[in-house]
Formats: sequence, structure tokens, C-alpha cells
Amino acid sequence: MDTLNNILTYVGLGFVLLGSIFLFLGALGIYRMPDLYNRLQAGTKASTLGAMSVVLGVGLMQPDWLIKLLVIIIFIGVSNPLSSHALARASYRSGIFPFFKKKIDAYEAEVEKEKMSAETHDPASKCGNK
Amino acid sequence: MKKLIIFITVAVLTYTLAVTFKDIPFGENRIGDLNNPGTVSAYYLQKAPEDLHVSNTITAVVVNFRGFDTLGEVTVLFLAATGLASILYRKEDEEEDERITLKSSSLVRTGAKILFPLMLVLGLYVFIHGHLTPGGGFQGGAIIATGFLLMLITYKRFNTNHNVMVWLESIAGLAFVGIGLFGLFRYGSFLQNTGWTGNLNDLVSGGLIPLIYIFIGIKVGTELTNVLDILLKIKPRKN
Repeated sequence: MDTLNNILTYVGLGFVLLGSIFLFLGALGIYRMPDLYNRLQAGTKASTLGAMSVVLGVGLMQPDWLIKLLVIIIFIGVSNPLSSHALARASYRSGIFPFFKKKIDAYEAEVEKEKMSAETHDPASKCGNK
Repeated sequence: MKKLIIFITVAVLTYTLAVTFKDIPFGENRIGDLNNPGTVSAYYLQKAPEDLHVSNTITAVVVNFRGFDTLGEVTVLFLAATGLASILYRKEDEEEDERITLKSSSLVRTGAKILFPLMLVLGLYVFIHGHLTPGGGFQGGAIIATGFLLMLITYKRFNTNHNVMVWLESIAGLAFVGIGLFGLFRYGSFLQNTGWTGNLNDLVSGGLIPLIYIFIGIKVGTELTNVLDILLKIKPRKN
């Protein structure tokens, strides 16, 4: 039992180290990247993985907390990408363009289509609820 | 020249801070002996677990030792919400009672459905365990209001039942005062709490403290939700 706990502690420490490396890289990315979209993906992808593995590492070191921590991991996994998606969408719609010249823009057509349908249909169909 | 001014300002500030902090004994035991309290901090740290059976001393201070002050804080929040409502509420807009948010993407709408119950549970957990873990009524109420904010900005048709909110808020506020009056008549002082207090570290312990914090949590949550609801319904003025 003692050996198992020791092994779990070392694996947990490894996860915490990995997570802190990713968190550091995310912070570096926010500082170094040229425009909003790059910063968003650095800040979200890296920090989601970093926070998740730090929490998982703590859970392996303290097995009593594991269930609670798994719930926290699910929460981070749902909320972090969602918020970055909403931020990116809102910034695109308010007219912030990428730093580099864009080659492919699949979302532009989507926005145009939505605008067209909003003009033709009555306002009641625009409501958020389906 | 500008850089010189900045440098001199920073240097003066650093020097002042250094001189001030030099005399503060960081890391020293300034609380004193817990068993023979000579300071207020030592008194609280000793009395909260001993007399009230509350493991979170901050909660004991906020709800019990200065409970009257907390009642004042709740009143301030209530007055702020009332003032906001009375300024911003416009009756002629009742028919087009829609928020000004844009349509959110289906990803956000699905995610909000998953996150909303989790946030409510977290808020409830924080204020029910206010006497055991960090946090309490105000924090838990704020978390609940955040959950409602997520739903309010995601779904245009999501509406809180105004009557239920108002009733919950009023009952919670009245219950807080009622508990205070109960202490006054039963033990001789407003918000007094020296009767049955349970065992240390149990969920049901601390006597009236968890009860008060639950009511504060409900009150803060409903109040902040109402404030957010009103703020999201402001429209640009029509000319």
C-alpha cells in the first residue's frame, strides 16, 4: 500500500510539473503572439491542458479528493474552450482581423448568410431559443 | 525628462515603502497566547471553536461577533439593488421585454446548459458550508448570480420569475432579522447564539450561523440576479 502511494505521488508530481510547463508556455504565448486569435489559442489550449493536469496531479497525490477534482476537470474542460470560442466569435463580429493576411475564411460566408436571413425573416425568428 | 521624473517618483515611492515596511515584524507571532488571550485576534481564535463550535473563524466573526454589521451590509446591497431598479425600470418597455444581447452560437448554448446546474450546485455548496470551508453567503450568492448571468446572456428567452425572486429575497431578509430577534428574546441580545451549537467540524454545527449564512446566500443571489436582469434590459434611447 505504501509503495502504491509513493508511485501515485511521483506520478502526480510529474503531472503537476507537466501542467506548470504548459501554463508557462500559455503565458509566454499570450505575451509573444502577434494578434488576438493567436493569443486566444495560446492562452486557452495551453492553459486548459495545464490546469487540467495540475488538478489531476493533485488528485493522484491525494486520492481522497479525486472525485471532486474530476468534476473540476470536467468543468474546466467545458468552460475554458467555450469562453475562448465566444471571445473569438465576438471579436470577429466586431471587426478584428488576423495579423497575417487571411487565405481561407470559412466563417465570413456564414456571417453573410446569417445577415441575409436576418433581413428577410421576421425578427421573432432570430431569438436565441430554438 | 519624462523618464527622469518617472525614475524619481518610483525611487521616492520605493524608499517610502521600504522605510515603512522595515519596522513591521513580518512572520512574528503577534497574536499572543491562545489560551490566555491578550489581543482581539487571540480571543476570536480561541472563542470561535470553543464557544460557538465553528471551524471557520472568519465566518464566526462575520456572522456572530459582528453580526449586526453584516445585517448592515445586506441592507446596503438591498438598497443598491432597489435604487438601481427604481432608476432603470421603465414601464412602457414591458411589452418588448427583451435583452439587448446578440444571438449566441449553438456551442455556447449547449455549453451553458451543462455549466448552469454545476454553477448553481457550487454556489449552494459554498454557502451551505460557509461555517466549515472558505467562502460563505456573499460568495455563494455571487456564484449563483454568475450562473444566472450566463443563462441570461446566452438565451434571449430565459427569464427568471420576478415574483419568485422578490418573494425569496424578502423572506430571506426577514428571516435574517427574525433570527436576530429570536436571539434578542431568547438569550437577551440581538443575534445572540449561545444555545445548542453542535460538534466542531460537523455540517450541522455552529447553531444559528449556517442558517444565517444560507439566508444571506439566497438573498445575495436573488438580488444580484435581479440587478443583472435589469442591467441587461437597458436599451439605447429612442429619439
